[in-house]
Amino acid sequence: MIVANGKPLEEIIGVVKGHRKILVAGCNECVTVCEVGGTKEVGILASALRLHFLNQGVEAQVGETTLQRQCDREYVVGARVTVEPYEIVVSVACGVGCQFMAEEYNKVPVVPGVDTSFMGGALERGVWSERCQGCGTCLLAKTAGICPVSRCAKRVLNGPCGGSTKGKCEISKDVDCAWQLIVDRLSSLGRMEDYEVLTPIKDWSTDRAGGPRMRIKEEVAS
Amino acid sequence: MSFAQKLAQGRFVTLAELEPPKGVDVAAFVGHAQRIKGSVDAVVVPEMANAVMKLGSLGGCMLLANKGMETVMQVCCRDRNRLALQADLLSAAALGITNVMAVEGDAPNLGDHHKARPVYDLDELELMQVIAKLATGKDMAGVELEGAPNFTVGATINTGAMGTVQQELAALDKKLAAGAQYFVTPPVFDLDSLAAFTKHLGDREVKLIPNVLLLKSVGMARAIGRHLKHVHMPDELIERVKGAPDRVREGILVAQELIEGIKAAGYSGVMISPLGWEDRLPQILGA
Repeated sequence: MIVANGKPLEEIIGVVKGHRKILVAGCNECVTVCEVGGTKEVGILASALRLHFLNQGVEAQVGETTLQRQCDREYVVGARVTVEPYEIVVSVACGVGCQFMAEEYNKVPVVPGVDTSFMGGALERGVWSERCQGCGTCLLAKTAGICPVSRCAKRVLNGPCGGSTKGKCEISKDVDCAWQLIVDRLSSLGRMEDYEVLTPIKDWSTDRAGGPRMRIKEEVAS
Repeated sequence: MSFAQKLAQGRFVTLAELEPPKGVDVAAFVGHAQRIKGSVDAVVVPEMANAVMKLGSLGGCMLLANKGMETVMQVCCRDRNRLALQADLLSAAALGITNVMAVEGDAPNLGDHHKARPVYDLDELELMQVIAKLATGKDMAGVELEGAPNFTVGATINTGAMGTVQQELAALDKKLAAGAQYFVTPPVFDLDSLAAFTKHLGDREVKLIPNVLLLKSVGMARAIGRHLKHVHMPDELIERVKGAPDRVREGILVAQELIEGIKAAGYSGVMISPLGWEDRLPQILGA
């Protein structure tokens, strides 16, 4: 899933200042799972904004909505009746959802209520960890299912680097060395011969080096 | 005789690491280097070690080369992509710098510009393969070069850091395959601990250059023992420095003894890192 962090309330207040009709828009997908932008969090943020305006003696209307997916035009368009009466939308979806909303609603400013951080998974309730950077050329088959691009601080493909010590990364003793994890797993899989092979120099053109990326599935695209 | 020639002939080489300044006043940097000229085979000029922004390795090497000194330029993956790395290598070769050392580079959050975006387009082994490719007269894209650079390539080896000796040997083999001609080790304070690794080298032709770090204080020795888990800092050594009437002098003596021990053990050379006490280098080297 895409993992995000809620922006500080003061920052959101600073952005919506001057507006009297504010819509907080959530998303039922990733941000709901990572507990930052679902119906529940929309309600909490809207309440906090209402309380702020009340304390300031300002009369303002703060609405709430949660789209099925803000990253899908079908649902974004479908929210027109809800969105257009407002002066500004605070999107607590990821950066994709926030942009899809902005692209659809020309006359309503759409601002982010979260900082989109990474693609990852939940280790346990309330703890999410990065697992993928979408480099466009997956190496997991060769690295025992552990991604050096997302989990090594230096994206080393022939690791570990000199900063690895006893299984930990130089950036923090709380961060596992991805390459130690890879080596340990290759070893337990009986595949250490994979480690002995030099990884070919990576083609980053499938990453951001090639500019903004598109995927078109010909058989379903109209 | 050049550093490369001595290395190839199996003669003991002495390297000294000299940090360039953070700024443009190079008088001390050049002065320190000139005082050890003749006592070292080459000066290693780090490329923003510990991710601290300062005068770069290429510039530092040129400053010393202009004074007639041989240098080792560090090429660092952290701050440059493959275009910039290749361009720097061509620049270096064209300016007469023929010794390079590929390094990964410490992560920016360890340095003084922790908001920097790291590059790491290539890793250390990929960079070494690129250096080898340039020597064939072609760049990474396969385009012909007008004159090919020919470098003596060094690499780092992180002995004692991984789980098993077998894993470390596999890592070493990959660096050899990528073109490493010599290896600089982490700081050594106990030659027995290094020998515990080298006895597993078998018939590999590995030129190992242990790093001797000047101990500047008891606190530094303790910190190394506590924080650098793969570096063995003997308790007796800490006690020795602690009990010495002149601890600075004792640190220098320790470095001298280690250098003699490294020579006697038959290693390919030594790299001395004074870590800010460059003015003590002549004393350590007996220059």
